[in-house]
Amino acid sequence: MSRLGPIYTLAVGAVMTAGLTVASATASPAIQETSASVAAGPQANTEATPEATADATPDSTQEPEEVAAPEDQDTTPKKVDYAGVVDQNGGLIAISIRNGKVVGYFCDGQIEAWLKGTAEDNTVTLEGKDTLVTAALRGGKAQGRIEFKNKSWRFSAATVKKPSGLYRATAQVRGARVVGGWIKLPNGQSVGRIMIGENAGEAAPAFDGGVQKWYGIPLTPQDPDGFIDSFLS
Amino acid sequence: MSHTQVAPQRRGAVALLVIPVLAGGLVAAALGVYGELHPPTGFAVGIAGFSGPLAMKVWLTTIAAVLAIVQVFTAFAIWGKIPVQGSWPGPVHRWSGRLAFLATVPVAFHCLYSVGARYDDPRVMFHSILGCLFYGVFVTKMLSLPKRGLPGWSLPVLGGLLFTLLIGLWLTSSFWFFTTIGIQF
Repeated sequence: MSRLGPIYTLAVGAVMTAGLTVASATASPAIQETSASVAAGPQANTEATPEATADATPDSTQEPEEVAAPEDQDTTPKKVDYAGVVDQNGGLIAISIRNGKVVGYFCDGQIEAWLKGTAEDNTVTLEGKDTLVTAALRGGKAQGRIEFKNKSWRFSAATVKKPSGLYRATAQVRGARVVGGWIKLPNGQSVGRIMIGENAGEAAPAFDGGVQKWYGIPLTPQDPDGFIDSFLS
Repeated sequence: MSHTQVAPQRRGAVALLVIPVLAGGLVAAALGVYGELHPPTGFAVGIAGFSGPLAMKVWLTTIAAVLAIVQVFTAFAIWGKIPVQGSWPGPVHRWSGRLAFLATVPVAFHCLYSVGARYDDPRVMFHSILGCLFYGVFVTKMLSLPKRGLPGWSLPVLGGLLFTLLIGLWLTSSFWFFTTIGIQF
């Protein structure tokens, strides 16, 4: 046996690791360039979709702080769904209001956050794990900012109608909870992520609205009308 | 008198392990620190052919676990604990070990790069700790192998530790996947 054999083994492992690092850093663009993919498969994030960035919202996004002073009559929409692209991150965000209650979801396929919050005076504030979203509702758009961990991105989400918008599916499998989240835009772009438990998950396969099979587990996506009560309770 | 002659020799033999053990400890600690500090990307390049990264990791770990059983068997044969004909146990042990190690690399890479070490759920906590220890012990064993004059117990102990850690890793990942989600590719 060559005395260097074990060293070669370690070296091959190190080279593999380096190769995977380079490949991952290249295939998964830096977060500024990431586009929520028109998912073609679980690993569809390797293919950044240029359309996503081309569709990016205009730069007219304004700070939520600039919202007009509250009026006497609260004109906050009672029932509305917003969905749009998160600037720089390229992920999608969806916000749905139902009588002052708000649910939201942010996802770029790789990172995600489920959000809950309130809407009043044409302002929504949502919170989720490591995430804070504030947005002003104006002219059929929710425009604001998402803070995710140490990052902060602006977004502008337009009003959308079914089948576009936010979807969520939950399932219980042998003691583990599976939660899928999807956002679909009117231009066909979609993004999603499926988690099992808190720590394991993957980017969701292409989303067509029907029952999604994930490793044989059937997931039935519901729109906010269907899941808001159980989600907020 | 015999004590004075034997003692320095033994000390010398154990001393040969100092550098491998230190190096392995550094690797384990470095992986743990990386897993803790590196912001999870939620994404990493893996091996194609599975329906998703979870399935990839689950099956590569299972391959490594099966090869680890081959490792134990061939190790017994090398040490004469199992009588076998021919000199194949040595090469089979080396190559099954190499393949097992290489099968784990994309898995550990995905775990650390994409997910990171976590401690909020027992399964994931044990998996994180065992994973860091596994590569530490592996480096220790690889650096010990070329050394001559090691204490006789060194390689069996290191090999046994590696096997135990790998099976622990398999139980906290693949076995969990198979029993929770099912046998899925």
